[in-house]
Amino acid sequence: MTQTAPELLVGASSDFLKRFSPFDRMEPEALAFLAERATLGFHPRGSAILTPEMGHPRHFYIVQRGKVQARQQGPATVTEYTALTLGPGECFPIGAVSAQRPSTNTYLAVDDSFVFQISVEEFIELMRISPVFHLFCTQYIASLLNQSRQQLQTTFAQRAAEQQTMTTPLGELVKQAPAWVSPDTPTRAALEKMAELRIGCIVVADEEEHPVGVLTQSDLLPRVVLPAFDLARPIEEVMTPAPRVLPASASAYEAALEMATHGVRHLLVVDVEGRLCGVVSERDLFSLQRLSLRQVRASIEHAGDIEALQRAATDIRALALNLIAQGVGAEQLTRFISALNDALTQRIITLALERHDLYGIDYAWLAFGSEGRHEQTLSTDQDNGLIFVCPELMDKEPLKLRLLEFAREVNDDLAACGFPLCKGNIMASNPDLCLTPEEWRQRFGRWISEPDPQALLNASIFFDFRVLYGNRLLGDQLQGWLNKNARANSAFQRLLAVNAMQVAPPLGRLRDFVVEDDGTLDLKKFGTRLFVDAARIFALRTGVSASGTVQRLRQSAVRMGISNEEVSAIVDGFHFIQLLRLRAQHLETEHDAPGDNRINPDRLNELDRRILKEAFRQARKLQSRLRLDYQL
Amino acid sequence: MNWLGRFLPGQSAPAPGEAFERWRALPEAELGRPHSDTRYVVVNTEASGLDTEHDRLLAVAAIAVDGGLLNPLDSYHAALEPDPAAALGGLLAFAGKAPLVVFGAAFHRNMLEAAWRQWLGDAPEFTWLDLYWLMPAVFEPGPDGPSRLAQWMKAMDVETFQRHHALGDAWAIAQLFLALQGHATARGAATPRALGELERTRRKLASRA
Repeated sequence: MTQTAPELLVGASSDFLKRFSPFDRMEPEALAFLAERATLGFHPRGSAILTPEMGHPRHFYIVQRGKVQARQQGPATVTEYTALTLGPGECFPIGAVSAQRPSTNTYLAVDDSFVFQISVEEFIELMRISPVFHLFCTQYIASLLNQSRQQLQTTFAQRAAEQQTMTTPLGELVKQAPAWVSPDTPTRAALEKMAELRIGCIVVADEEEHPVGVLTQSDLLPRVVLPAFDLARPIEEVMTPAPRVLPASASAYEAALEMATHGVRHLLVVDVEGRLCGVVSERDLFSLQRLSLRQVRASIEHAGDIEALQRAATDIRALALNLIAQGVGAEQLTRFISALNDALTQRIITLALERHDLYGIDYAWLAFGSEGRHEQTLSTDQDNGLIFVCPELMDKEPLKLRLLEFAREVNDDLAACGFPLCKGNIMASNPDLCLTPEEWRQRFGRWISEPDPQALLNASIFFDFRVLYGNRLLGDQLQGWLNKNARANSAFQRLLAVNAMQVAPPLGRLRDFVVEDDGTLDLKKFGTRLFVDAARIFALRTGVSASGTVQRLRQSAVRMGISNEEVSAIVDGFHFIQLLRLRAQHLETEHDAPGDNRINPDRLNELDRRILKEAFRQARKLQSRLRLDYQL
Repeated sequence: MNWLGRFLPGQSAPAPGEAFERWRALPEAELGRPHSDTRYVVVNTEASGLDTEHDRLLAVAAIAVDGGLLNPLDSYHAALEPDPAAALGGLLAFAGKAPLVVFGAAFHRNMLEAAWRQWLGDAPEFTWLDLYWLMPAVFEPGPDGPSRLAQWMKAMDVETFQRHHALGDAWAIAQLFLALQGHATARGAATPRALGELERTRRKLASRA
């Protein structure tokens, strides 16, 4: 059988395409359709094939030979997004062509490149006739989530590495000006100085600040105390002469090696001229090593005062950074932050109880809002309250006063550890939030039966509660009562749904995202909140008692007959926005700016932008479900 | 008969003179338009040998480069046997008055013009562009650089599905021409006419050297 010229050339294109995924799996008719319509163009090195300014792309491209680089448009990105290079068989712009929007990337030929192209109409037809290609394009968008996480990992790994590796120069580790004395200083004066400064080591240096000796705590027993050394005599007679020094440019690793080799706990750090610039102790080096969850937890549990807990709170943040670096997802991350914050709060309460005798009182410390949902991020206000039982024959007011005094101290201590006091005064020290079970039920009941806007707002904070300390049963009983009453009241649920629908996902008709004047959008208000609100309604409706959004979604979905895949997509969307929040908060708190939930989508990399868009679409899905269910 | 057989696009081949007349009636190509607005036709031949005097033309192939794009459907291939007039007339119909691009005009142009004269009675006046001269003029590869087709293909990393086949080589030449358009435009040779002038300058330079 002979072939015409078009048949031969189409066959050649098709043979080429078949060498690459997904064309190798494509249905024969679909591949023929593509090969017949793909025209070949040439793009000299350095020329732009597609840019955002070109508006809606008119073609879909497949690289035949050469190299095309996808570069993100816009200013510096939050994560360092390495430009993506596309080689033979790779195609672009999948997202922009599928979504019929301008590309967010600039596609540049970095080598002389031959590139096949088909029109957008042909692309859409190909999607229609080829399930394989359709799957490839949709999965491509989904696979971005994974890629994004990997990128995140790299970025943070680098950051974490910079922060605390053993390659840190000693000069950077030395924080305090060194304490030193001259060789003729009476030993007593030197020891007094050590005691005063609470240091384990004193340096002896000459007039030019060149160290000539050192005396450490461990030298005292054998050299001073036991021999009954005359403390009036100069320190140069008991010091260790010619102490070990390292230049400020030496690494922490070298210091550790030096310490291990010579069995010393302190090393002197000197500048290029041999002048003393500091002392590095073994402990300084230890703190460089990665904090472990166990260590932080142990340090919380053994903390004897607020200062120790403050350090632990700092460690929690540092550890969170490490975990992001290790690629831990938002779910585990928030759960772990929540667990450590719980431990911290519990320790604060335990310490406060040493000064406040609540023995014999039946009470529980409640966490509300994000803390109640186990969804704390790194900058969460306090939202807490107390529930207590007033025994018969006992006066309630004096009891309550004792509890409030205790609560005030706990609130202040929490604030000292980095949990800002709640601006809305949703705190246990507020007499309005230190209530007996009957009082809580009355209050919840009133919100349910008279759901004015304030009541609905309250419900969105207080209905997500859990017991953090004290008698768990009090919380469980309240939860059981709440579920029974809210479940029975569909009018209340409906109003909650109306309320939840007031904020729509910030997806634009023309632009990707609806942003505020400064170009940012609030990931909490327009992002996670949409998921949280919907999950709460689902939970109340189906009688799910979990307080976490993901558990609520998963458990209520089973009862509502929502498929597993559908829920997973929703949960992924929720987690992604949480991760972005955590990341933004992290980067900001590192720059000492107050952490908030705003991000500028233009500054996200292309990948994250697309996933964020997809996440918002999931929120929209949730809302349409609510709209349908409550006929709004 | 050649294993390739014959690949005639039309059903009935016009009489030799008729094909020629039809071609003559077409409007002249505009040589001052940019590449992106011009239809070039890359032509290539396959012969029994390399001697234009004694060897026979076996097959002809053509691929259009239209608006800077190679469209596989816009292509032509025909063996001379059994109906040389139809094969050559078909090529005329396919090419129209488009500027013709060859690699090595000395051979392919001569072979084609001789065949046209023999079978259609006359050789039409085309605008010819020869990549043999144009490639070095645009890419300036230096004295030890590529000159033959295989060398240029290697240098430009261009492949084809079958070498030494009229259409297979035409496919490679068409890709070289695509690349040439891109680079020539950057150097100011943005029209067929400008390419023609570039080629003439290059030939003159070569004859002086």
